[in-house]
Amino acid sequence: MTTPAVELDGIWKRFPGVIANSGANLTVRPGTVHAVLGENGAGKTTLMNCLAGVYRPDEGAIRIDGREVRFSSPADAIEAGVGMVHQEFRLVPTFTVAQNVVLGAAPGIVNRTRIDAEVAALAERFGFRAEPERPVWQLSMGERQRVEILKALWRDARILILDEPTAVLTPQEAQELGAVLRRMVAEGRSVIFISHKLDEVTAFCDEATVLRGGSTVAASVEVASVDAAELARLMVGDVDAPPVNRRDTAAGDIVLSVRDLRAIDTRGVTALDGVSLDVRSGEILGIAGVAGNGQRALTDAIAGLQRTVAGTVEIAGTDITSAPPRARHRAGLAYVPEDRLGVGLAPKLPITENAIMREYRALRRGPLLSWSTARTFCDGLVRRFEVKVGRVEAPMASLSGGNLQRLLLGRELSGEPRVVVASQPTRGLDVAGVRAIQQLLVAQRDQGTAVLMVSEDLDELLALADRIVVMVEGRIVGEFDARTTSRAEIGEAMIGSRRADA
Amino acid sequence: MKRLVLTRREIPTRGGQPVAFLFGLAFALLVGAILMQVSGDPAIDVYQRMWERSLGSTDTWSVTFNRAVPLALAGLAVSIAATMGLWNIGAEGQILFGATAATLVGRLFPDWPGPVLITAMLIAAVIGGALWALGPGLAKAELGVSEIITTLMLTEVAIRLITYLEQGPWKDPEGFGFPNVTARPPQAELGDLWDRTHIGVLLALAVIGAFAWFINRSVWGYELRIAGSSRQTAAYAGISMRRKVLGVLLLSGAVAGFAGGIELTGTAVRLNAQISNGYGFSGIIVAALALMRPSAIPVVALAFGAVQVGGQSIQTSLGVSPAVSTILQALILFGAIGAAVFSNYRVVALDRQVSVA
Amino acid sequence: MILALTFTEASVIGLLVAGVQFGTLLYLAALGETVAEKSGVLNLGVEGMMATGASVGFIVAVETGSPWAGILAGAAAGALLSLVHAVAAVGLGADQVVSGLALTFLGLGLADFVGDGYTDDARRSLFRDVELPGLDGIPWIGEIVFRHSPVTYGAVLSGIVVWFVLNRTAVGLGLRAAGETAATADAAGHSVLRLRFAAVMVGGAFAGASGAYLTTYLVGSWSQNLTAGRGWIAVALVIFGAWRPGRVALGALLFGFTLALKSRLAVFGIEFSPILLDMTPYLLTVVVLVVISIRARNKPSPAPAAIGIPYRREER
Repeated sequence: MTTPAVELDGIWKRFPGVIANSGANLTVRPGTVHAVLGENGAGKTTLMNCLAGVYRPDEGAIRIDGREVRFSSPADAIEAGVGMVHQEFRLVPTFTVAQNVVLGAAPGIVNRTRIDAEVAALAERFGFRAEPERPVWQLSMGERQRVEILKALWRDARILILDEPTAVLTPQEAQELGAVLRRMVAEGRSVIFISHKLDEVTAFCDEATVLRGGSTVAASVEVASVDAAELARLMVGDVDAPPVNRRDTAAGDIVLSVRDLRAIDTRGVTALDGVSLDVRSGEILGIAGVAGNGQRALTDAIAGLQRTVAGTVEIAGTDITSAPPRARHRAGLAYVPEDRLGVGLAPKLPITENAIMREYRALRRGPLLSWSTARTFCDGLVRRFEVKVGRVEAPMASLSGGNLQRLLLGRELSGEPRVVVASQPTRGLDVAGVRAIQQLLVAQRDQGTAVLMVSEDLDELLALADRIVVMVEGRIVGEFDARTTSRAEIGEAMIGSRRADA
Repeated sequence: MKRLVLTRREIPTRGGQPVAFLFGLAFALLVGAILMQVSGDPAIDVYQRMWERSLGSTDTWSVTFNRAVPLALAGLAVSIAATMGLWNIGAEGQILFGATAATLVGRLFPDWPGPVLITAMLIAAVIGGALWALGPGLAKAELGVSEIITTLMLTEVAIRLITYLEQGPWKDPEGFGFPNVTARPPQAELGDLWDRTHIGVLLALAVIGAFAWFINRSVWGYELRIAGSSRQTAAYAGISMRRKVLGVLLLSGAVAGFAGGIELTGTAVRLNAQISNGYGFSGIIVAALALMRPSAIPVVALAFGAVQVGGQSIQTSLGVSPAVSTILQALILFGAIGAAVFSNYRVVALDRQVSVA
Repeated sequence: MILALTFTEASVIGLLVAGVQFGTLLYLAALGETVAEKSGVLNLGVEGMMATGASVGFIVAVETGSPWAGILAGAAAGALLSLVHAVAAVGLGADQVVSGLALTFLGLGLADFVGDGYTDDARRSLFRDVELPGLDGIPWIGEIVFRHSPVTYGAVLSGIVVWFVLNRTAVGLGLRAAGETAATADAAGHSVLRLRFAAVMVGGAFAGASGAYLTTYLVGSWSQNLTAGRGWIAVALVIFGAWRPGRVALGALLFGFTLALKSRLAVFGIEFSPILLDMTPYLLTVVVLVVISIRARNKPSPAPAAIGIPYRREER
């Protein structure tokens, strides 16, 4: 048997209050694409960060080509031939593509024409399209990912780790990525492909290792010989999928109505290109799509945080297109933004002050705030939405992700809204947190609230939503009945206009 | 082999800052002593003299108290801006322009009775300080121009403005040709509480107390904190960032300007470019050491006041450069920065790991 | 406002020569600050580092009789002093604004403390002007451009070197990356801490050298508060020149001429307050900042994005 390219042996990694990896193992054969599968929070990213030198494992051994290594920095890992493309790209926006690629591995004197040519040649060798002299801030997410991969290849990475690479890609781009990966393994390199999507794994990968709860539950399964349902069972364990809360009653009147909404983002790029949709009382409308296709602009525009250049937004027949965020809230809008800590909460301020962020104007006595009433209000939220807190004077950031989101959602729901707009409400939460948030949203729907929910997790949308629309490049490209549609059908729509443009 | 690594504590150790401050003080005194010994100055004598001349008697206490007033007010001005994450580096300029505005009132109404004139001058100082912060405030609120640099630049402008007034328009006709601004009306002098301690001490404490109370209890203060968290959070909560930025810088400038008015009516006789002897800059260090907490500012300001007042005495009596005091102030801060590391971070020993590649 | 202008060839040339001399002073300090800021560290201690460089440089020059030793000593003193800021703001992650201001205090204090005994030691400039053979004979240009102290030529050379290192070398690429997105530079294998330490100390050395040039050449003596806010002009110049060594040089010349003109207004018969003229560099900088902000609305600002943000790698 050939020496494995990578061997992770009994890796433990603990963070304050969390054990991310508990004895995880991984063996990757050279010249293969190896999937690391697992649900959110299964410890995939932490494990890969150990391999890439970002973290030091508390216990366990890392072997590259059979030799044990200890990395004290990403630079050490790069030196040993391990490159990682993180979910959050590590690029310098003001640098050109070529400058980003050679950063940290450039010749002593950097001749711009020469590195441009060399980067272009490298890209060509692996079948990329690349414009070396373009500044990165002008690139799309998919293009930026290619820069990241080029960076690793420039350093001659023999082991390339990709952390959920397709999250920012259209299915079309994902296919292209697959082809690039094939060329890489054909040269004898190895690719580790982190994912929680089974279809990608079966399409791109040779072998798969499944993580659950921080440890390996199935090692180096040959993808061709295993059936997807089996992988799925390994991933989620023996727990049944959450019961799907279908609506029994018919949807009511239109509560949220968006007509032909257009917006331009800070870079001057069209973010919304004529979006129209209706959400009725007592239904959940899901918005599917690859990240960065205008979902955030849409929810922000509805909440009044993104300026629009054309179109209208109405809540229960009242035009709120140019109303400030507060007026929209008064009109019955609740908003759970995608960036919880940066938009919906003030992480350094006490929990109480976060709890009253929507209602504090009702607590004023003259120019002063009634803190006793504020405290009562906060205690009420904490009890009703089962937020686990120590002291309410503690900073918001001291809460766990799930409890943060409970407080935020609870605060938004306490105003008895007519419309709830929730953007990625369960992303990054643990299983219990996801369940709780989903149940709260479903309960709202059942009470007759109109719910608009953006999610990158198609399965979540299929389980919760009544209708699903797909967004591509700032447009709605398809609408589906969640009861009758399939992943495949929605995936097809996500290719949408891009394929037509190409 | 081990190596030491700092890891951030999730919650800073309680009571860490007072300890850090005391450590900074000790560090400064120690390094200062070494410096003096090396250059042949008698460190112990210098410190003894500094103590005697700043905190040694009730009379010197007065001078120290009076000195702490502008330092505390400047510190407060800085901390007001800091509630929104803004840096008012130009408190110095606002103090100067506040004093200039107060002088203007004194020149316009030299015959008004003392209490009336003092009140009018202090109001003018407040308005003047706010005016000097208006430009940076507007630029920050409307265009996002860094207030750090604009306020700093305007300080230099204010210094030169006063020099200009001294040499030209406001030059004292009876000043024997010296470039001095005419002295303020004699009745415009703050009364004394005891010895030489003037009423400004009470006024400053009142302003600081009122601000601390207001920021904690008021809707406006709450909105400031939310707006200081992030621009987007402010928008989400329906708070106008622009108005808050402008408002907070104006208020900060007003407090600094007030300090200028107090200096003019309290300890100075006339306007000059040294009327704020770097108080605006010292105030930044004071505010930083007080962690921007109004309650801690008077204490730190008093300590800095003592160092400054003590430092002035050593040249005449001991022939040691008064620069010792400036050095000590900086060292207190650097010492405290060093010490604060231990309340914000944990020092962890890790194996020094060697890569095999 | 302008009455009876009395321009003579000699006085105009004198003005321009003095402008270049003042420009050298400002450029050295601003160039150093550019390097520091490009790496993501704002150092408001320029005034202090300049002052310390001025007094240490003067003392060493007087004691050794060598102006070169003075410049080197000034640079070393500035670099050493800047180490305090590097340790506090880069190493310990303290606020750069506070630490930099405290550095100004420390530098001004040390300058006075060290220079205390040298205030009466006034001499003529310790440097002799170098006349570039052949070129200095060109009318006007020869005198204005080719007859200066070696420090001026050194400053020009330094500008070119700094530009080259920042824009055409691997180290420069890493340094700029550290100033834009430190985590990216780190992930690419550059040590952000090391780069920033080095950049801050380079900045300190330049500021110190600038101060030493002030005492050993421009003034020829040391006295308290000699720097008189010129360190702040250097900070302003970095912004004025949009963080680019070439443009900073142009700004330094412009501000240098303003400083030179200030003392010559009477000579030219211009009835304008020299003090008001003295304000213009600061006001111009504010104007430039406003213009940059308006322009930055649809493209990235020229300011290093990570300036003022301490960097500490994630736990590992």
